[in-house]
Order: sequence, then structure tokens, then C-alpha cells
Amino acid sequence: MKEHLQQLLPRLVLAPSFALVLIFVYAFIIYTGYLSFTDSRLLPSYGWVGLENYEKLFKLRHWNIALKNLAIFGILYIIISTFLGLLLAILLDQKIRGEGFIRPIYLYPMALSFIVTGTAWKWFLDPGIGIEHSLHLWGWESFHFNWIKDRNFAIYTVVIAAVWQSSGFVMAMFLAALRGVDSEMIKAAQIDGASGFQIYRRIIIPLMRPVFLSAFVVLAHLAIKAYDLVIALTNAGPGNATQLPSTFMYSYTFTRNQMGIGASSAIIMMIMMFSIIIPYLYGELKTGDSK
Amino acid sequence: MASLKIKNLYKSYGSAEILKGINLEIEDGGFLVLVGPSGCGKSTLLNTIAGLENITSGDITIDDHSITHLHPSKRDIAMVFQSYALYPNMTVAQNISFGMEIRGIDKAIRQKAINEVSSMLQIGELLNRKPSQLSGGQRQRVAMGRALVRDPQVFLFDEPLSNLDAKLRVDMRTEIKRLHQRMGTTIIYVTHDQIEALTLATKIAVLKDGYLQQFGTPNEVYNNPKNMFVATFMGSPSMNLLEAKVIKNSDDINIEVATNSNNKLILPVSDIAALQAYENQKIIFGIRPEAITDPEAADRTTKKIVERDCLIEVIEPAGSDTFAVINLGGAESIARLRPDANINAGEISKLAFNMSKAVFFNPQNEERIR
Amino acid sequence: MSISSQNNISSGRLTRALIYSILILFVIYYLLPLYVMIINSLKPLDEVRDGNLMAFPKLWTIDPWRSAWSTAQIGVEASGLKPYFINSILMVVPATLLATMMGAINGYVLTKWRFRGDNIIFVLLLLSCFIPFQIVLIPAARVLGFLEVSGTIQGLILIHTVYGIGFATLFFRNYYAAFPTELIQAAQIDGAGFFQIFWRILMPSSMPITVVTIIWLFTNQWNDFLFGASFSGYGTTPMTVALNNLVNSTTGVKEYNVHFAGAILAALPTLFVYIMAGKYFVRGLMVGAVKG
Repeated sequence: MKEHLQQLLPRLVLAPSFALVLIFVYAFIIYTGYLSFTDSRLLPSYGWVGLENYEKLFKLRHWNIALKNLAIFGILYIIISTFLGLLLAILLDQKIRGEGFIRPIYLYPMALSFIVTGTAWKWFLDPGIGIEHSLHLWGWESFHFNWIKDRNFAIYTVVIAAVWQSSGFVMAMFLAALRGVDSEMIKAAQIDGASGFQIYRRIIIPLMRPVFLSAFVVLAHLAIKAYDLVIALTNAGPGNATQLPSTFMYSYTFTRNQMGIGASSAIIMMIMMFSIIIPYLYGELKTGDSK
Repeated sequence: MASLKIKNLYKSYGSAEILKGINLEIEDGGFLVLVGPSGCGKSTLLNTIAGLENITSGDITIDDHSITHLHPSKRDIAMVFQSYALYPNMTVAQNISFGMEIRGIDKAIRQKAINEVSSMLQIGELLNRKPSQLSGGQRQRVAMGRALVRDPQVFLFDEPLSNLDAKLRVDMRTEIKRLHQRMGTTIIYVTHDQIEALTLATKIAVLKDGYLQQFGTPNEVYNNPKNMFVATFMGSPSMNLLEAKVIKNSDDINIEVATNSNNKLILPVSDIAALQAYENQKIIFGIRPEAITDPEAADRTTKKIVERDCLIEVIEPAGSDTFAVINLGGAESIARLRPDANINAGEISKLAFNMSKAVFFNPQNEERIR
Repeated sequence: MSISSQNNISSGRLTRALIYSILILFVIYYLLPLYVMIINSLKPLDEVRDGNLMAFPKLWTIDPWRSAWSTAQIGVEASGLKPYFINSILMVVPATLLATMMGAINGYVLTKWRFRGDNIIFVLLLLSCFIPFQIVLIPAARVLGFLEVSGTIQGLILIHTVYGIGFATLFFRNYYAAFPTELIQAAQIDGAGFFQIFWRILMPSSMPITVVTIIWLFTNQWNDFLFGASFSGYGTTPMTVALNNLVNSTTGVKEYNVHFAGAILAALPTLFVYIMAGKYFVRGLMVGAVKG
């Protein structure tokens, strides 16, 4: 009997977590998926409408703005963060005095809430009191920087704040990988006469391929999830200029009482996320198993 | 102490069969070494004896009591692991007595047992240290202490020396053998190192691909290998295996080993009757390096020494011996010479073949012909 | 390794000067917002409005901090951020500890007590880390209502725990995967059972990963906004939501200095953790990024 219990214990112990995740993640996804095919508005209702919500969704100007913004934001955010992260990692890897002091400074924004980041940058970029105002006081009267108030440029301020928050993290990922490069290979390349620049371009940076992939996935994940930052920085404005799918979903579901459309937008977000995450996890788990 | 029997043991993971019908037996006080290349199933076999893995079918008995379905802690065994598996958060003393603590044994008795074992293994001054503060050899001793303190029916060792450096490995090998001789315990020992197997074992079981290839004393396994795998796996440098043709003229049986020159190497093999059936057929001729020597070093107690001219390709002095790479039958062969034998690379020299040590195999099924 | 020791990319004086200048430039970039927040939280309001955002206070004051902490108008109440800070603590601490415990035992089972189908469970747990939370908002609101914990601290503890289990399990599983299975086997031969092995053998060696997990979960849950905004009620609002309400309140004058002080207050616990245990924080980020 006791032996039997010992055999069952592992499953018993895992059961609560499994049940919770099954309900709170997978059943919830199915429920949201179901709602996206119904005429739910203020409250869930179960009148089946087929793909109507999705058709409506893609005709909505707000949704298309949100998608376009996500594309602009996502692409710039990923490219700039990756580039900055790699640059800073390479520079920090040059036997820098005070590296132990600089590194934590690059990385600390990652510990902050996006709400805090948003608040800080909101005032910092505000033409009335922020950087523009400061430069005017310092005598640079012609300086103009009012992107945050400009419909056409507000989305770029979201990029600035988001890059500020996560580029240090990308730096840390690259730095860890750089520290893992086999020093004998570098010596071999030097004996082959490669210059420092060539060694980076031809040998080290190609070796960073897995880090590029990880950074891409993490940043894409953060970009699709980005909600708090936009709320705190611009509150999706001015107008709808910084609307993202995440803010769209929230406002359509909870303030505009269009739950069916909100649910369908959430499903689209999930499809975007999973189409990035699942192939990545599959690759990671597969290589993990073969080790 | 006790005898251990393994009867018709099968083990599979899903569709992959790891052990395919193993039958083994080790007498009370015996030292059984399970040896084979990696992936042969030897560690799995040990784990099934320990009860760390379930078996698919078959039976394992200690003193004729089946232990097949007992929990590892109920089998009255102790195990020394390859990585030593010392609990990193416990001191040496706590490591040694953890099993007794779990069984609720009195502290005073535990202390006494710790003292006995630590004085036997000379680890008394290490008792309050953590494993991370010990050297490899010390960890090895502590791991053995943890096993000894259980005073089990059977000791299991899983490649216990493979993480030590070469010098220490030889010392510990001697120490394990001494311990075995002094305590007379039954030991089952897994290794991939055939020298360890030959030096330690009273019985060797050679495994490959989940099959038991040969089970016998070290002498049997070394001198009378049952098949080509055992012949090449045991011994270093390994046995020379050459293609040869059986030729019969009148009553004598000879084998003809094709050399790459026109001179054929013909060697007599009179007393192996089974070879008669292979007349004019290809067989595999096996001879250990120490049976091909410079003529002065040949074993004069046997009558079957024949001397032949051989082309010496490379000379490899190894201190106590000199190995010569010679070309027989197009394949490289190794001969073992005295260190001061006057034989040089690139020359043709006379070498002595001790044909009483020759063995022959069927090239089709790789089994021994005898 | 550092390539610089042998190569010449960074050997010239000029190059090195350039490298240091770029690095220092970015030090300024990363510190500037924090600097702005701190110095302006120590100025009177008119100095913020009319003066230079970059300049040191002419008149140092901690009134904005006092106001942000205990008297600022947030929503309808002039309570300052203090009650919300306490709300956050009350929900984040239990949720972090619960999820960590569940993650530890899950990781133990998934690496050392494998059974048929355990991989599927792991994949389901792992995937749960990466869902956009918008997908669960509607049903979660209904289930919290059904359990009669809508708008309560308990409800948020439940939500944070559930969505923390995935990461906690991932962390512990990866850590225990490298933990020698031979130790478990040795303990089994010594007669230790399932929980004895966990408490006596694994847990004492799990300090680093426990710290990593706690920091990760604490930071994520403290910084959460979406769940807080969706599921908290009057009196259970967490710090991030309260800060946002403070900053975006439409009534009265915008007290930038109070907003800055509030933002720092909201950042303080996670910054404190980062400064105290940055190494573990970074390690958590890495595990979170490099799965499998």
C-alpha cells in the first residue's frame, strides 16, 4: 500500500498545478475563442454569429491602426534593441574598467514597471516641461521635440521608452554569449591574420545566432504584450495614434461593451504570439532532448 | 554476504530493448565485473539489481530470495555511484549515516558505525567537512564508507573509478581489491575499462547491445574468448585479427595469411580438429600481440613457436615493452617486443609466433571455432 | 572570454577613448530618466513647471514624497499611495511564495519522477508562460465572480499564483534537470521517500534557484498592471494602477513632483531587489529567455 502511494505521489503532487493551468489557461482560451463567435456585448451571450466578429474587426479603423502601430513598434523595437544590445555587449567586452559599475546601470530599467517607465518618459518627453523645455532654457530656442503630442510620431516615443527599458537586457544576453566564446578559436583566427573587426564580423557575430533568435522571441513577446507602457505613456493617444492590439482589446471589451469583437482581437493576439513562440519552443525542446 | 542470481532478465524502454535475456550468477563472496562498451546495458543491469529501474521480465534473487519487486532500500544492497552522489548539503558524517537516520536508528549506534567505517577507510579527520571540500579520492572513500556502513548482502559499484586521475585510479583499484579480500563481500562492479575488469574480478560478464557475450573467469575471458567481440574488447593493445585460409597438406593443417608481398605467410595449426571442416575456406585468425615477439623473447615452455620474416613498419617504444606495427595479410598487426630487441622500422626481421595462443573465428557469425 | 586581450580592435588610444565615450553616453541615457524623476521629486511644483527639468532643485523639499505617500488625491480619495503599496504587498507576497512552492515540487516531479505523459504536462505549463493575458481576461473575470472573490486581494492572489506557476516550474525544472539523478538514487537506497528526498536532498541545494524564482515572480507581479486594472476593486487596487490613476487624474493641477515621487515609490521594491540581488535577477531573465 505504501509503495503504491509512493508511485502515485508524483502525479498527485503535480495535479493541482495541472488542473489550475488547464482551467485558467486552456479552458479560458477555449472560452474566449467561443465568445469570439458570439454576439456578446456588455456580458457574454451565446448567440452564434460565426465569423462576423472577425469580419467586423478587420474593417474597424481602430483595429487596423492598432495592427499598423504594432508592426511599426514591433519592428523598430526589436531591431533597435537588438542592435543596441549587441553594440553595448561588444563594447563592454573590451576589458572595460568599471564594467561592474556600468552593466547594472544598463540593465536596471528591466526591473521597473512599465507604468513607471511610461510615467518617467511621459514627462521627460512632454514639450511643456521635459527635454524640449530644458533645451530652450539652455538657449537652444529652435529645438523642437513634440513627438509625444504628434499623431504621426507618438508611436515612436513608445519605441524610445520601450528600447530604454529592454535594450540592457538584450545586452546582458549577448554579453553572456560573448563570454562563452571559445578563446582558442579566437586565437586561431588571429593566427590566420584576422583583424579585430573581421573576427567580430566573420566569427563571433555569426556565433551569436541563437542569441539573436532568443532576443527576437523575447522582444516580440514583450511587444505583443505591451499594454501598460502605452497606457502610462500616451494612454493610446493622442487620439488613437498609439493604439495597439492590447489596448484595443481592453477598450472594446470593457469600455465599449463589444465583448465579441474584444474576444476575437484577443484570439488574433494569441495567434500572433503562438506563431512565434511555438516554433521557438519546439526547437529549444528538441535540441534540449538530443543533448 | 550472499550469492546473487539473475535469471532471464529482459528490460525495455518502450519498444527499445536494453537487456535481452541476461543469465548470471555470482557466488557468495565473489567479485563480478560487468564490462562492455558504452550503451551495452551494463549500467542498466546494475540499476535493475539495485531496484532503481524496473525490469520487464525475469527474476533477480539474493540467496534464492527474489528481490525483483522490492524497493531499493529493502534489497539489502549498497551502491557506490560513478559521481559518488554525496549529498552536497550534508557533512561526511551525515552522508554516511543518512540511511540509518531514515531508518530511525539510535544516534549512539549511528555514531559508532560512523567511527568504525571512518577508521577503516582513514577518513576520520574528514567527518565534519562538506563534500565540496574534499578531493576526488576522498569523495570516493566517503562514497565507499556510505556503502560499507550499511553492511549489505551485496555491494554495487557503478564505474566508481572513472572520475579519478590515472594514478589515483590504480591506487583505489588496489584498495578495493584489498577491501574485498579482507571482508569477503559479494561485489558487483560495472566498468568500461577491461583492465579494471581483469584485475578485480573473480568472474567477468562481457556485455554488448544488451546481450551477454561471455561469462567466465578473467583467465577464460582473456585466453578463450567466445567470439570476436570479446577477443578484441578484452586486452590492450587488442588482439590481432587477420583473414586467413585453411590449407591441408597430408595430416598437417596450416593457415595461409596473405601478405601484401608475394611471400605468403604460412603458419601451422595442428591440433585444432574443428578447423578441418574449413579446408580452403576463409577464417579469422586471432593472435594477441604478446604472442608475436622477437625470437629471443618467445615463450620457450611451449613447443609451438614458429619464426617467420615480417616487415616492420613502425616501432613504438613504450618503456617496459616495445610495440611493433607489422603488416600481415594487408592488415596492421601489433607485435610485442622486448624493449632492447634489435629490430628497426623499415626492415624485415624474424618474429616468433606462439601458435598455442592462436584462436580462430568463423567470419560469418564471428563465433569461435574450436 | 574577452577578445580584447589579444586583438587590436581596442588597442589604439583613440579607439579606447571612443569606446569609453559611447559607454558613458549610454550610462547617461539609462540614468537620465531616473535622475529626472529623483531631482524633480525634490523640488516644489512651480520650480518643476517653470524651471529646468535637468537642474538641481534650488529649494530642496521632501513634501512631494510626503504627499505621494499619504495625502495625494488618487481617484476619489486623498489617501496617497500608501494603502495601495500595502495592497500590492498583500497580494504579491503570498502569490510569489505559493507559485514558488508549486514550481519547486513540479520541477522535482518533472525531472526526477518522470511518468508517461509528463512531457505534455510540462509543455502545457511552459506554454502558459507566453499567452497574451488579454486572452484570459473575460473568462477570468467570470470565474473570479463565480468564486465570489471579484475585486478582492484573494482573487488577485489566485490570478497571480496561477500565471506564475508556469515560470516557476520552468525555473525549477531546468535547475533540477542538472541536479544529479544519482543523488536521488542514493537517497532511495538509503530508504528516503518522495518528500524526504525533496526536503532533505533537493531543497537544501535549491537556494539559488529559489531566490531567482522569487525575484522573478515578485518583480513580475509587483509590476503587473493589466490584472490589477482588470480585477481589483475599490480598496484592493495595487500600486501600479494607483500610480497611473495619480498621474492621469484629470482633476486639479498636475503635480509633476508628486508624480515623480510616486513613480519612484512604485519602483522602489523592485529596484531594491535588483540592487540587493542583481545577479539572481539577471539569471532569472536568462532562464526566462532561454527555455528548454
